[in-house]
Amino acid sequence: MTVVEARDITRVFPMPAAPVVAVRGVSIRIEAGDYVALCGPSGCGKSTLLHLLGCVDMPTSGALFFEERDVAGLNDRQRSRIRLRRLGFIFQRFFLLPMLTAAENIALPLSEAGVSRPEQERRTAELLNYVGLSARAEHRPSQLSGGEMQRVAIARALANRPALLLADEPTGELDQATGEQIAALLDRVNADGTALVVVTHDPAFAKRSRRTLTMRDGTILLEETRP
Amino acid sequence: MPRRWLIGLCATVVLVVALAGESSRAQEHAPVPDVLISRQLAEAFGLDSGDVVQFSNEQSGAAAREFRVRGIYEPTPDPLELNDTKFKARLHLPDLLALTARPDDPLAAEIVDGLNISLTNPADAEAFSRDLMARVPGVFAQPIERVMSRASVFVVLERFHFAIALVTIFASTVFLLALSVMLVDERRETVGVLRLIGLTTRRVLAQVFLEGLVIAVAGALFGLVLALASERVINLYFQWHYNTALIFVRVTPAVAFQCLLIAVPLGVVASVSASWMLLRRQVMSLARR
Amino acid sequence: MNAFRFAWRSLIRQPARASLGVIGVAAVGALLFDMLMLSNGLVLSMQTLLGRSGFTLRVSAAGSPLPGTGQPISDSTETAAAIAALPEVAAAVPVRFANSRILRDAWERAIDADLVGIDQAQRRIWTLVEGGDLGSAGLAGRALVNENLAALLALEIGDMVHLQANCGMGISAAPAVHLPLAGVADFELDDSDDLTVALTLQDVDRACGGEGRDAADQILINAADGVPDQEARVAIERHRPDLQAFTNAQLVARLQEGGLSYFRQISLVLTTVTITFAFLLVTVLLTVSVNQRVGEIAVLRALGLSQRRVIADVFCESVLLVGTGALLAVPIGFVLARGLDRILKAIPGVPDELHFFVYEPRALWIHVALFSATALLAAAYPMRMVANLPIAGTLRREVIG
Repeated sequence: MTVVEARDITRVFPMPAAPVVAVRGVSIRIEAGDYVALCGPSGCGKSTLLHLLGCVDMPTSGALFFEERDVAGLNDRQRSRIRLRRLGFIFQRFFLLPMLTAAENIALPLSEAGVSRPEQERRTAELLNYVGLSARAEHRPSQLSGGEMQRVAIARALANRPALLLADEPTGELDQATGEQIAALLDRVNADGTALVVVTHDPAFAKRSRRTLTMRDGTILLEETRP
Repeated sequence: MPRRWLIGLCATVVLVVALAGESSRAQEHAPVPDVLISRQLAEAFGLDSGDVVQFSNEQSGAAAREFRVRGIYEPTPDPLELNDTKFKARLHLPDLLALTARPDDPLAAEIVDGLNISLTNPADAEAFSRDLMARVPGVFAQPIERVMSRASVFVVLERFHFAIALVTIFASTVFLLALSVMLVDERRETVGVLRLIGLTTRRVLAQVFLEGLVIAVAGALFGLVLALASERVINLYFQWHYNTALIFVRVTPAVAFQCLLIAVPLGVVASVSASWMLLRRQVMSLARR
Repeated sequence: MNAFRFAWRSLIRQPARASLGVIGVAAVGALLFDMLMLSNGLVLSMQTLLGRSGFTLRVSAAGSPLPGTGQPISDSTETAAAIAALPEVAAAVPVRFANSRILRDAWERAIDADLVGIDQAQRRIWTLVEGGDLGSAGLAGRALVNENLAALLALEIGDMVHLQANCGMGISAAPAVHLPLAGVADFELDDSDDLTVALTLQDVDRACGGEGRDAADQILINAADGVPDQEARVAIERHRPDLQAFTNAQLVARLQEGGLSYFRQISLVLTTVTITFAFLLVTVLLTVSVNQRVGEIAVLRALGLSQRRVIADVFCESVLLVGTGALLAVPIGFVLARGLDRILKAIPGVPDELHFFVYEPRALWIHVALFSATALLAAAYPMRMVANLPIAGTLRREVIG
C-alpha cells in the first residue's frame, strides 16, 4: 500500500531578492514498510521535501497524496489529524517539551488523539520499554542525555502507531556511538512495520536504508536501491 | 454637624437669585450702578460689557434693580468651589446692601456677613481675635489660617493620591521586573558565551548596568513627554467639564525630577537584579540550549 | 493533558515570570476593585447614614439648595405639627443649628461647638451613650453633649454647661445660658473632631436671645407606613408651597452632582488606567513567552495538535495569569480600601460613620467582567501569532538558529 505519493511537486519560497526553488518537480512514492534515506548537500531541499511529505508544508505545484487522499483538498484540521494519527516526526534537536516528564512527552499525542487515560498509561509504558527508558519515565528532558532525549522523541513519534515516521537528521546532534544506537532503534522500528524516511548527512546511516535518494538543487539526482 | 458639612459640599450662597429681564442698551435710562459679572454668567446669558441687567433678591424677581455690566471677569479658580455655581457678580457694597436689605429692618443697610481685617502685625491675629470677641460679645473672630483649614481637604486628597501613586509604582516595578527577567532570559546564551570566553560576572554586570541606565533614562524621559502631553489633555477636559480656568494637573520641575528620581533607579535596579539572578547560575547551563 | 493543565505547566516552567505577572495583575486589580467600591461607595454610605435615624425627608424653606442652607422656617413648632397631621406623614421634628461657645475656665478660653436645637418626638439623630436624654418638648433646661466635648471639658452627668450662642443674626449680646448635663450622646453626622451640644428648641431660642421666633433650619420628616417618600414630599409641598421637601434619595443625588463627582471621576480614570496596565502586562508576558517557544509550538503542530488546541493553550495561560491575579486582588483590595478609606475620612467635616469605599456585589461582578475581558483581549495577539505560525518555516529556523 502506498502511504504517501508525490507527483511532480515543486516548492518555491518567495524571497526579496529572487524566489528560491527548494524542491523542483520531485516525484516519489513511499510504500508501507519502506525505509528511505534522503541525502544531499546542505540546502538541496531534503528537509523541505520531508516537510512536504509530512503534510507540514504545501507544495507550490504538483500533487501530493497521503494514503490515496489528495492533501491539497484537505483543510488545516484534517492535515493535523493525519499528522497526529498516521505520521510521526523526529527532529535533530529532539524538541521535547522541557516542562513535561519523559512519560508526559510521550503521552501528549495520545491525549490529543482522545485515548483513554488507562490506555495512555499502558501505551506510554510500552513505548518507554521499547526504547529502553522505563526507568527514566519521570525524568525531565534536562535530566536526560542527548541519546535518551532522542529515544523519548522516537517513542513520542510512535505513540499513535503511525504508518510513516519522518526523521530529520535524527543523529545530527549526537556522538557516533549514540548515533549508532539511535540508528539501530530506527532499524527496529522499520522492521516492526513502520515506513521510515530519514534525512541524513551521514553516509553510514544512509546505507542502513533500502532506498537512498540523493538530492541536489531541489531535484532527485540519484536513487540507489538495496535489497 | 450636618449643617456645616452640607454647606461645605454645596454651592456657596449666590446673591443673584434671579437674573430677570433681557439685556438692553438702555441709553434713555438714568445712570445705573455698575456690576462685574463672571465669564460663565456672561456666556450663559449672552451678556457683554455695557448691557443693563436686573438683579433681584426675590425668587419671584420682585423688587429688581438695574445694573450696568461694567466688565466681565474670570472668577479666581478655587478648587474648594469647583462644583459651585460659576454665576457670580460683584457689586459695590452699598448697592448690594440696598438690594438685599429687608425693607422692615432699619439696620439692614448696616449689616454685613463679615469684616476682613488686615493687621499691622499679622502675628497678632490669634490674640486680636480673642480680644475682639471678649470686647464685642456675639462677634466671632478667627485668624485666616483657621478659615483656610478647609484647604486641608486638599491635603487629605494629596495623601490619597500619594497612596494610589505608591500602589501604581509598586505595580510598575513588578511589570519592570517581569520585563527585565524576560529580556535577560532571551540573552541567556549570549551571556553564557561571554562568561565562557572569560568575562567576569562583574564585567557583565557593568555592561548590564550601563544598558539599564540608558534604557531607564530614555524610558523616564519618554514617560515625562507622555505626562506633559496628557497634562494638557486632562486640563482641557476638566476645564471644559467644570467650566473653570482651574489647573488640575501640573507637571512642575519638582514633579518631573521626582519621577526621574524614582524611575531611573528602579529601571537600573530591575535590570541589574534580573541579570544578577541569571549570572549566579552555572556557566554551562547558560550556554546550553 | 488538557489545555489548562498544559498552560499551568508552561507557566510554572518560568516561575519568576509567572509570579511577577500574577503579582502585577493582583496589585493593579486591587486598585481597580477599590475604585469600583469608591465609584458608588460614598452614595451607598450616605444613604445608609441618612436613613439610620429613620427620617426619610428633610424640609426647609423653598429655594434652599440643600436642607438647612436657606432661610430658617419660622413658627416651626406649629409648622411641624401641621405637617405631622398630614396622613402621609408619621412624624415631623424641627431642628435648629447654630454656633456656640462653651465656657472653659474663662470666656477668653471658651471653645467653639456646634449647637443643635431639637424637640424629640419618637426618633433621635443621636444615640445615647451615657446618662439621660433631653426629653420631649416642654421638658427644657438640660443639655446633651457629644463624647469629644465631654472629654475635652471633663464633664460629668449633672455638671453645668455654660453656653453662649451665636445664632447668625448679626452682632448680638445674648447672655450665656447655664444648663445641667443630662447625658452624653453619639451624633450620627459628627465627624471625628466635632464638638456638639444639643438643647431643646426652647432652650436654643432662649440662648439666641429669646426673641421667640420659634425658628428651625429644617424639619425632619418620617413618612407614614406604606407611604412612598415621594408621595409624602408632594403632600408637604402642596400643603405648604413656601416649603421644600427633600427625600434622602434626592439629597444624595443632589450631593452626587456636586462635591461627590470628584470621586466618580477619579474612580473612572483609575479603573481605566489599571485595566489598561493589566492588559499591557499580560499581553507582553504572553507575547514574549510565545515568541520564545515558537519552536515548541511548531513541533506540537507537526505532531498533530490542531490550531485550535495550541490557541487554547495560549488562552488558558492568559486566563490562569489574569484569573489568579484577579482572585488575589479581592482580599488585597479590601485591605487597601481600609487604608484609603482611613486617609479620606480625614477630610474635615466628614461624619465618622461615613465611608468612601463600600462593598457591593456589583463591584465584584464588574471586577470579574473586566478581568475576563482583559484575559481574552490580552491573549488576542499571542493567539493570532500562534494561529498564523508557519510550521515548516519555523522548524527550519529553529534548526538553523
